[in-house]
Amino acid sequence: MSDTSHVEPAGINRRTALKAFGASVGSIALLPLISEEGAMAYEALQRANAAPALKALTKAQYATVDAIAEAIIPTDAHSPGARAARVADYIDLLLSEANPQVRERWVAGVAALDEASVAKFKVPFVKLSATQATALLTEISANEAKPTTPVEQFFRTAKDATVRGYYTSEIGIHKDLQYKGNQFLPEFVGCLTEDGKDCPHCGQKAPVKAAD
Amino acid sequence: MDAQPTPPITPASGPWDVIVVGSGAAGGMAAFQLAMAGVKVLLLEAGRMLDPQKDYKTMEWPYVDMRRHRLPVGEFALSAAEYRTLDRPYGLTPEMQRYKKVMAYSGNRFTRDWIVDEKENPITGTPYAWVRARVLGGKTNLWGRVSLRFSDLDLKAKTHDGFGEDWPIGYADIAPYYDKVDTLLGISGTKEGIPHLPDGIFQRPLKLNCGEVQLQRAIAKMGRRLIPGRAGVTTDGVLNNKYRQRCMGRGRCGRGCDLNAAFHSPASLIFPARDSGNLTVRADSVVSEVLIDDSTGKATGVRVIDQRTHDTMDFSARLVILAASCLESTRLLLNSRSASRPDGAANSSGVVGRYFCEHVMGPGASGILPSRVNTAATNDDGRPQSTYIVRFRNVTDRHPDFIRGYGFQGASGSAEFPALAPGTPGFGASFKQAVRRSYPATINYTGFGEVLARRENRVFLDPEVRDAWGVPVLKFDYTFSDNERKMAADMADTAEEMLKAAGATDISVRRDVLTEGWSIHEMGTARMGADPKTSVTNTFGQTHDVKNLFVVDGSIFVSASCQNPTWMIMALCWRAMDYVKDEMKRGNL
Repeated sequence: MSDTSHVEPAGINRRTALKAFGASVGSIALLPLISEEGAMAYEALQRANAAPALKALTKAQYATVDAIAEAIIPTDAHSPGARAARVADYIDLLLSEANPQVRERWVAGVAALDEASVAKFKVPFVKLSATQATALLTEISANEAKPTTPVEQFFRTAKDATVRGYYTSEIGIHKDLQYKGNQFLPEFVGCLTEDGKDCPHCGQKAPVKAAD
Repeated sequence: MDAQPTPPITPASGPWDVIVVGSGAAGGMAAFQLAMAGVKVLLLEAGRMLDPQKDYKTMEWPYVDMRRHRLPVGEFALSAAEYRTLDRPYGLTPEMQRYKKVMAYSGNRFTRDWIVDEKENPITGTPYAWVRARVLGGKTNLWGRVSLRFSDLDLKAKTHDGFGEDWPIGYADIAPYYDKVDTLLGISGTKEGIPHLPDGIFQRPLKLNCGEVQLQRAIAKMGRRLIPGRAGVTTDGVLNNKYRQRCMGRGRCGRGCDLNAAFHSPASLIFPARDSGNLTVRADSVVSEVLIDDSTGKATGVRVIDQRTHDTMDFSARLVILAASCLESTRLLLNSRSASRPDGAANSSGVVGRYFCEHVMGPGASGILPSRVNTAATNDDGRPQSTYIVRFRNVTDRHPDFIRGYGFQGASGSAEFPALAPGTPGFGASFKQAVRRSYPATINYTGFGEVLARRENRVFLDPEVRDAWGVPVLKFDYTFSDNERKMAADMADTAEEMLKAAGATDISVRRDVLTEGWSIHEMGTARMGADPKTSVTNTFGQTHDVKNLFVVDGSIFVSASCQNPTWMIMALCWRAMDYVKDEMKRGNL
């Protein structure tokens, strides 16, 4: 279920907002599940929280994808990373729906990553220590703007998918970016110079009134 | 709301005084004005009925499931680059079979059901990203809400620079109707006193954030104006409409606002009109032609093909009003052919389908404002509109390279998805931190410029290809000219120059023009004018050739201006409906 702890006290969460606006705003019946839509939404929630049943990747490929995603966006002091946000599950789902060429590209990319890992440290990517993984990824991401070799191209592909999966997750949106939108906001607060004051946030001064 | 009432509406369910074809901004306004005046109206919509409470998923987070709002399996939207390279006609060639939708920038998981399937609705000819919504309310369910007035600089553009035609009306003729639309529907904005972007009757404005104030002050030194966006959204609420509530700053208006604070035709116009008891709405009604009695030269009604059953039936009325969207109304006129009207209805001038114009968009720039780096994220995308940089080219001076002008739409600050992340180099904790630091600091502006209404830019009926309902499809012969290309180059230059002036770093300039059609602002293909030889309608959208046939959507525009057309469509339509009511009282219709 969705966690509402990110809602600022200053905002209004959906439930109180619904009360405030009356039932004309689409109220959500969670149970019993009578509508097909409700059933589908419930099933989606179930699916999102279920243990991963792989759809496209093998267990070994999944472990490698999970490892590179976590290396690109790791858990740090600020927020959990790609593993906690289940980015590898998102990628697996994405690949299960993609056309065969895309799947082949990923499978080949995972193999190329392991090959590079073995060549440098004699073990596959999932077996690398954090320091080793950083050293390897530093090498293969050096050309990320214009990747040429298969392993460089795979880094770019994996990073794009990781970014997409992580920053659309609950962890990415709320815990990492601390995104403030998508809530009921009776009055938009802009730069305070808009209200004729000096703005403490940006230091810009109130507009000078033109002499009459 | 309700599905189609049973039994289904048939020609025998009438009689009706007026048939309105289309339920978007123009159709909704026409139906509302007439039904409220006691006229019996039949509104025909090609798509399905819509229930705002069920269909608008305004606040749904992307993480409701693992698919994260991606289009469903097997659904593809054409990208801008693909228009240029793929074979046409869309949907009829093997390469195109995997594509279903042309959605331009408005396509997403929430709007896809409203947008037509390219396989059922192909087009031919030159590439054109023609976004068509077939659902109650049409494109107003997903529109961008930018509501700007035209001025005499636009309406009398020929007087100003010699190109094209002046409109047969001036700002003074339309200003009172702009005021009425502002008051009825609600619009947010600030009074700025800019002659070429007239003020309206505004509700609570949207405030600029710190980054936007910084840019505003920087470009003021160049004599350029950045103003809060003027949004077709009620920020204070509107009277006399139980379906609408005021804006609560949630953002995501383009999916459909379930408070109906944003203007969407169903809740703002159609439902109240239906409550009057004078409006019948028939959904799933694909209109294929206007029926005209050649002996009297009068329209007698329209031919409808049921979208689901493909049954054909003829509905009749004393008056027919086309509001199907610029190109669809044009297609209807062209397809209303007979032995004595080989070129279609109301086309004795031969200009139906010609003078096709829109907006050229795409060039612009984005960057990072150092002053905002590493500050707390603010709620920036909750506003129903961001900011607008007012046209500054060819207003008082003459640019050596091109005529007409362009404005910029854009914003500073954070949105739900950090667009800067894929391009931020590196990986690991430092990458995460870099994204986070710049997240509140992005700034991005995109230009919208006027495309000249040129006779050679046109649409016509394809002699062979038909849609799924057997109606001939449009063939496009439309390209940007040198004027648009030079203007687009200048857009990119000035966007860069202004971001630099504001102290932005990491500026990336977009020079590419998005493909034809991407603006979703089609205009001009049945233009109004005083001379029946060179225009299709009078200033009220009444066709010169068929007195009881009106056209009230973007097709009657004479030129495109660089302002967004929706508010003008509704002001013109209201003015036209006042004329219709007067003429009906006088017994002239």
